[in-house]
Amino acid sequence: MAMKKTNTYNQIILRGSMLCVMMFSALSCKKNILDPTIITSISDKSAFDTPDRILAQVNGLYSTMKSGQFYGGRLIIYNELRADEFIMNKPNIVTGQQTWSQSVNSGTSEVNGLWSAGYATINTVNTFLAGIELNKSKLSTTLYDNYSAEAKFIRALCYFALVQTYCQPYAKDQGASLGLPLRLLPETSSANNLLARSSVAQIYTQIISDLNAAEAGLPASYATASLNTTRASVNTAIALKTRVYLVMNRYADVITEAAKIVSDTAPYQATTGVASKMETNVATVFGGSYVGLEAMLSMPFTPTETPGTQNQLAYYFNISPGNGEFYLNASGIIADPVYATASTDARKGFVFTNTGQKWLSKYKVASTYSDYVPVIRYPEVLLNYAEALARAGDPVSMAKAVSLVSAVRTRSDPGYVFPSAGISTPDALIATIQTEKRIEFLGEGFRVPDLQRTLQTLPTKTAASGTAPAVAPAENKYIWPIPANETSINTLCVPNPS
Amino acid sequence: MQLNATCTIDRVKYYNKLGAAASLQTPHTGPSKTNAAPAVQKTKAIRYKSALQYLIKAIITFGVKNKLLLQMKIIIALLFIGFMQVHASTSAQNITINQRNASIEKILAEVKLQTGYLFVYNQEWMKLAQKVDINVKNVPLKSVLDISFANQPLTYSIVNKTIIVQLKKQPVASYAALVNVEVSGQVKDEKGVPLPGVTVMVKGTQIGRQTDVNGKFALSVPERSVLVFSMISYKTIEIGIDGKHVFNVTLEESKSQLNEVVVSGYTTQNRSEFTGSSAHISGNQLAERPVTSFDQALSGQAPGIKLTSSSGSLNSPPVFRIRGTNSITSSAYPLIIIDGVQAFTGNVGNSAENNPLSSINPDDIESIEVLKDASATAIYGSRGTDGVVVITTKRGKAGKMKINYDTYFGMQKKPKLPELLNAADYVNIKNESLANNGTDPAFFLQKNPDGSNVETNWYDYIYQTGHSQNHNLSLSGGMGDTHYFFSAAYTNQTGFLVKNTFERGGTRFNFDTKLTNNITVGANVAYTDALNNNLTSGFNNAFGLNNLVRESMVLSPNLSPFNADGSYNISGSGIGYGANTILTGYYNPLPQLQHDKFTSESKSLLGNMFLEWEFVKNLKAKVNYSLNDLNTVNMGFSNPYQAGGYATNGSATNTNGLNRRTDILGQLTYSGTIAGKHHISALAAYEDIYSLASSWGVTKTNLTDRYYETFFGAYSTVSGSSSSYGENGLRSYFGNLNYDYDRKYLLSASFRRDGYSALASKWGNFPGVSIGWNLSDEEFFKNSSLGKTFSVVKLRASYGQTGNISGVSNYASSSLYASGVYGGVASLSTSQIGNADLKWETSKKTDVGINIGLWNNRIILDADYFNNADDGLILNVPQAASKGIPNNTLTENIGTMYNRGFEFNIDAHIMDHTKFKWRANFNISTLKNKVTSLAPGVNDIWTSSLETSNITRVGLPVGVMYVVKTTGVNPANGLRTYLNKAGQTVQYSPVTGQWTHLDGSAASALDAYADGVVMGTTLPTYYGGFNNNFSYANLDLAINLTYSGGNQIYNGTKATLLDNRFFNNETLILQRWTHPGQITDIPALHYNDQQASGSVLPNSFNVEDDSYLKLSYVSLGYRFPPKYFTKLHISSMRLYAAASNFILYTKYTGSDPEISANADSNTAAGRDKNSVPAGKTFVLGLNVGF
Repeated sequence: MAMKKTNTYNQIILRGSMLCVMMFSALSCKKNILDPTIITSISDKSAFDTPDRILAQVNGLYSTMKSGQFYGGRLIIYNELRADEFIMNKPNIVTGQQTWSQSVNSGTSEVNGLWSAGYATINTVNTFLAGIELNKSKLSTTLYDNYSAEAKFIRALCYFALVQTYCQPYAKDQGASLGLPLRLLPETSSANNLLARSSVAQIYTQIISDLNAAEAGLPASYATASLNTTRASVNTAIALKTRVYLVMNRYADVITEAAKIVSDTAPYQATTGVASKMETNVATVFGGSYVGLEAMLSMPFTPTETPGTQNQLAYYFNISPGNGEFYLNASGIIADPVYATASTDARKGFVFTNTGQKWLSKYKVASTYSDYVPVIRYPEVLLNYAEALARAGDPVSMAKAVSLVSAVRTRSDPGYVFPSAGISTPDALIATIQTEKRIEFLGEGFRVPDLQRTLQTLPTKTAASGTAPAVAPAENKYIWPIPANETSINTLCVPNPS
Repeated sequence: MQLNATCTIDRVKYYNKLGAAASLQTPHTGPSKTNAAPAVQKTKAIRYKSALQYLIKAIITFGVKNKLLLQMKIIIALLFIGFMQVHASTSAQNITINQRNASIEKILAEVKLQTGYLFVYNQEWMKLAQKVDINVKNVPLKSVLDISFANQPLTYSIVNKTIIVQLKKQPVASYAALVNVEVSGQVKDEKGVPLPGVTVMVKGTQIGRQTDVNGKFALSVPERSVLVFSMISYKTIEIGIDGKHVFNVTLEESKSQLNEVVVSGYTTQNRSEFTGSSAHISGNQLAERPVTSFDQALSGQAPGIKLTSSSGSLNSPPVFRIRGTNSITSSAYPLIIIDGVQAFTGNVGNSAENNPLSSINPDDIESIEVLKDASATAIYGSRGTDGVVVITTKRGKAGKMKINYDTYFGMQKKPKLPELLNAADYVNIKNESLANNGTDPAFFLQKNPDGSNVETNWYDYIYQTGHSQNHNLSLSGGMGDTHYFFSAAYTNQTGFLVKNTFERGGTRFNFDTKLTNNITVGANVAYTDALNNNLTSGFNNAFGLNNLVRESMVLSPNLSPFNADGSYNISGSGIGYGANTILTGYYNPLPQLQHDKFTSESKSLLGNMFLEWEFVKNLKAKVNYSLNDLNTVNMGFSNPYQAGGYATNGSATNTNGLNRRTDILGQLTYSGTIAGKHHISALAAYEDIYSLASSWGVTKTNLTDRYYETFFGAYSTVSGSSSSYGENGLRSYFGNLNYDYDRKYLLSASFRRDGYSALASKWGNFPGVSIGWNLSDEEFFKNSSLGKTFSVVKLRASYGQTGNISGVSNYASSSLYASGVYGGVASLSTSQIGNADLKWETSKKTDVGINIGLWNNRIILDADYFNNADDGLILNVPQAASKGIPNNTLTENIGTMYNRGFEFNIDAHIMDHTKFKWRANFNISTLKNKVTSLAPGVNDIWTSSLETSNITRVGLPVGVMYVVKTTGVNPANGLRTYLNKAGQTVQYSPVTGQWTHLDGSAASALDAYADGVVMGTTLPTYYGGFNNNFSYANLDLAINLTYSGGNQIYNGTKATLLDNRFFNNETLILQRWTHPGQITDIPALHYNDQQASGSVLPNSFNVEDDSYLKLSYVSLGYRFPPKYFTKLHISSMRLYAAASNFILYTKYTGSDPEISANADSNTAAGRDKNSVPAGKTFVLGLNVGF
């Protein structure tokens, strides 16, 4: 009897322990599956842990700005397409057809995409500025200052692009029009969707403020030519200020700023910081991955660092290699004698004929179309300087202005002398300088901003496949609408009249 | 004749042996110790039921038609009778008696003593009576008599204090059980194949056994008893002995769901005791369809499920919804469980679509259970919201080895395609559009060398007649306690698109055995290799320049693909000029067709192994380990002549992807009966599911020699490589309890607690509960006249909560920085702003249903009302773009939505003659989807993209049609006119680029968002199927219809076909406006105008009714009489021919109303754009059994 009972107990113990083993083996053989390690990204909690990582974030600010939707491609493309230098070859709403034909609306992807890319960069900057503030201890004071300055420089560049695209020109009413929602703090939550637009003037004030801070905090130069081209130094900030002040019609300030980085006499070059100057041969400027002294800021691209599909300049403006989306308007700047058969101007070399049309070959790296995208080139500073001087109108200024514009011209056409009719009066000289800018910066995204800062009509143009109407400054279409992805959420943001 | 007296008693306790005999499965071990009060209730209940019988009869006599009303009346009656009984019991004459194993005479004597009543009876009859146990205290006379005469061959009546005992006129079966007879026979299926393992039971007893390997049985059974033949997925039949000794029985496969087992993946339950809502689809309904994956064949098969084809390419995953779209941003695709393992779904291919569900050989599927309500899905917790599809593969059955060989050969024809302009019309139309712009003609007819016009029908180059073949061989059987199923299958299909093929080879081995009496082990292993091959079609690629479907529509018919010398007609990256003076800029597709190659190959290993141990009777422990490995290799080659590889002088990309999921499950189950009528089954379980997805790939560009046409050739550049890696874990504790009392009153409850790695609030609780009442099992119901008509009446209701995590990215709750390079140096930038509060989406599901079987289940009706209230929906909440948050969205649990509807299913055996049979199934589902809230301040989800024609707006169904309203074509100038948001009619001139009012004054430009209007829902509001199976002698005919409607579709293809670029047009354009005063709905042509057609500004002209009725499948089969093949050892052979996908009715003007160009999108459904719908298929097949 006792024996039997023991057996029963043994049975129970045996079965129980076997069951436990069975269940335990099921429950215990996996690591903690609820907290997998993220091996492909870095957590925000450790993004500021080391100086190297913070430096990588500084580079990250540039690479965000370098988005193909923004300074890495489409900003430049849109600033050409809305103007009159290019004619649509392949009507495709993905590659700017509506932009070219002045028919965008608040839902058009260009309108939404550019705004989003710009503000994405701005928020990255704001987040970074807040982050280094909290992690100051991990950086030297110099680096802290440098990095803050770079961030602000980038923010200025972003606001500048957006305010020019989505707001009335400063020149229209001295910035009294509605500007942009001015975001200066990091946004990482669902709060703060509502923010009204500041005035255009307030946006420009912020841009100037950021650029002044940048000038004060940026390093004079970097260790390599590549860094001098791809990251901002003091001279870069000054150069940008000449552009901003020109748009604001603050010509005296243009002169003040330009004088900081343009030597008194030819050959013009910066005398402090990076020794920015023009290349001898303009062709070398567009060598593909150009890092010389002329390029004050470029967006670098390589076969592994590409602008992304349908954002590449060569894809749009070139046809060999390229997709031949837009050819040069025969009645645009290429009608200028510079491009005539008899011309000896080196810049004529950027234009070639294919399929019966003229094409721009400044951007010519074959797929992956990884041409560097120029943002600021030294000759722009010379021309900004020249225009400001010409607007001053006094003989000394006029003479200097002529000298500056001639420097740009003769770099490509050494023997050239401007006819006196083109340089004798301030107005004529201004026109000459502006024409020179169209020639020098063809395909670099200056045409629309230059038309708008001088309140000129966006000209009409005709393609075999359709026409684009002229758009006068008084028309709603003169600037882009505030995108629906802003106004549908941020109801304080007043749409532009459509 | 003798007279006996009765008396009063005051304590009642009884045990009736005959009563126990009726429930032999659960023998009583002795007298129960019920105390007085319940006993009284019990006697009350008996009366109350008999009273109810009369009441129900009365109600029926009044001819109540409304079932609901009937139910309500019954309920009221029950309450009323409850009150009446209180009075009745107090006025009765009471008796106390305590006797064990007493003869009826002895009890009657006691009654006589206590009451003074007299008895009249025949002494002989008393010998037939059973002994009685009775123990009652102070109960009415009638109760004592009822107890004593219950289950006796005798009955009584009371006349003036005299109790008359008589023989019952029809003795009950249990009475006759005293004499046994020998019966034997054989059970076969409808094909005449012997069925082993069929349970043959004597009704109401435990006497019975299973048929042997030859389907034979022999039994010793009580005379006049009834034999019940039952087997899973076959219709149970009952046959009275009636003096016969040999029974040759044919079991019909059951489409009626009432007799089956519901397989939930963790547990199984008899349908009759199941209180949830699910649909059962038998595997052989799918096996003969020439589809690549089983889901493509589910359309119309059961209520509540909606399948929409996304493309006519082979193996493109369909849109699959169960009871509506239950998420906005997460996936609304159901959870698919294959033998307990969660399957991978979606598309894992490249240009060659690859639905991973194609790794399941449809021939291997035994059954599919579609779980719909919370009661059924809550056990899947956080994965249950979209419904669960539980697939059970075939297993061996006891008996000698069965060998089946199934094969079919088929062909696939392209669907109806839009009718395009010929070269002459094309040239005229395009030049007219140029002329209207004030431009010179640019299009001209090109001549062939022989002087004829170039007339290219681009369709001819990309469409063909496809063909398919399928072979499936299976071996299955059982030896003792070991069962096995082995299959090998091969499928090779060629689509109607050139270079679109699908080839699959695979094997499966399912096995289980009993190690000991109480330990079972088993394993299922399937390995499949599926190779998909397709060029770039329209699947999720509506606007691709390389989309061949689009190219074949838009390319100029006056251009030839080849030059006279046989070289490609190309100019740069596009097709050449031909005689035209405008370059199209679009590709010549011939280089693509001749040189490109895109393949997606999946190697899938799906296996599990389990051990189940019944360590205490009725209590089982089970451990299961499963592995689901899906390896995909995607290869692509783009030629250097045109299209994708042109710019890079040829490019090739190979990507290797690994998806792995492991699942460890430990569970305890209890199943048993307590006190005879309390049936309990319970489950407690633990599960760990770990998923890993990684991929890497390399792109090579710039061919060194155009001889090479694969990745493995020589290229001068390795231009890029890509990789990804992500993992997640789901840890769960769950259980459920099913309880029923006497299979009449049913209760089921389940609970799951899930932890998921991707969420910030990792843990969520998901309960579900349901109740049911098998009204038809109530004696009073059976005995009522209703009982004759209604063989089954079951009422059920469920409520519960499920979750949804599909679509939540692996690290969604974390804020992340992504590394990259800037100018060759390291960069780091914000890539994701996570939500530190991210938690589950929940769906609170309510279901109320009724199952009715009429006339011995010849007609079965199921009706359900459901309400899925989804909240905490994970929305990518749009943020003001100026906040600069990546993608302008933050993931938050914020939206709410509901899906409500009714489902009706009717299965009817319309004709059941021996020779001619007609079975029909009709099902219809309704759906009302409504978004009830989005984020605070967010009323709309509207994302601008190419041809955005949907909006998700609070108060409306998800993804409603949203376009600008066109009012037609202005007869004065041929311009399309629109209504703007101010209600003004405006028009757009492509010539001036200006918007104007009709009076010519300037108007604001129309804005897709601001001026858009809601047109209607894109989700069908009703849909279903009508499935018929006829058989006459050896012929069988199946006709399946599907239908859907109540929704709209945006015919974006029409916008393409009326586009005013160089695009070729459909012939509809010939009705364009040409002169003032002309009334037409096709605007004047202006070259390059994309507004009028709706390409840049989608307008209501392209919004169409999406209703349709389709002949989805029809097959005609002939079963050869087995006598022809006996020498060949062939036991059955069937030959069939089938066809599928014929549109019978639709108002839709496009190719096929059943298309979703945006594939599985929740917020952008209802769109047809530049993709080709499913084609028509024809097959000829053969099933052979050995």
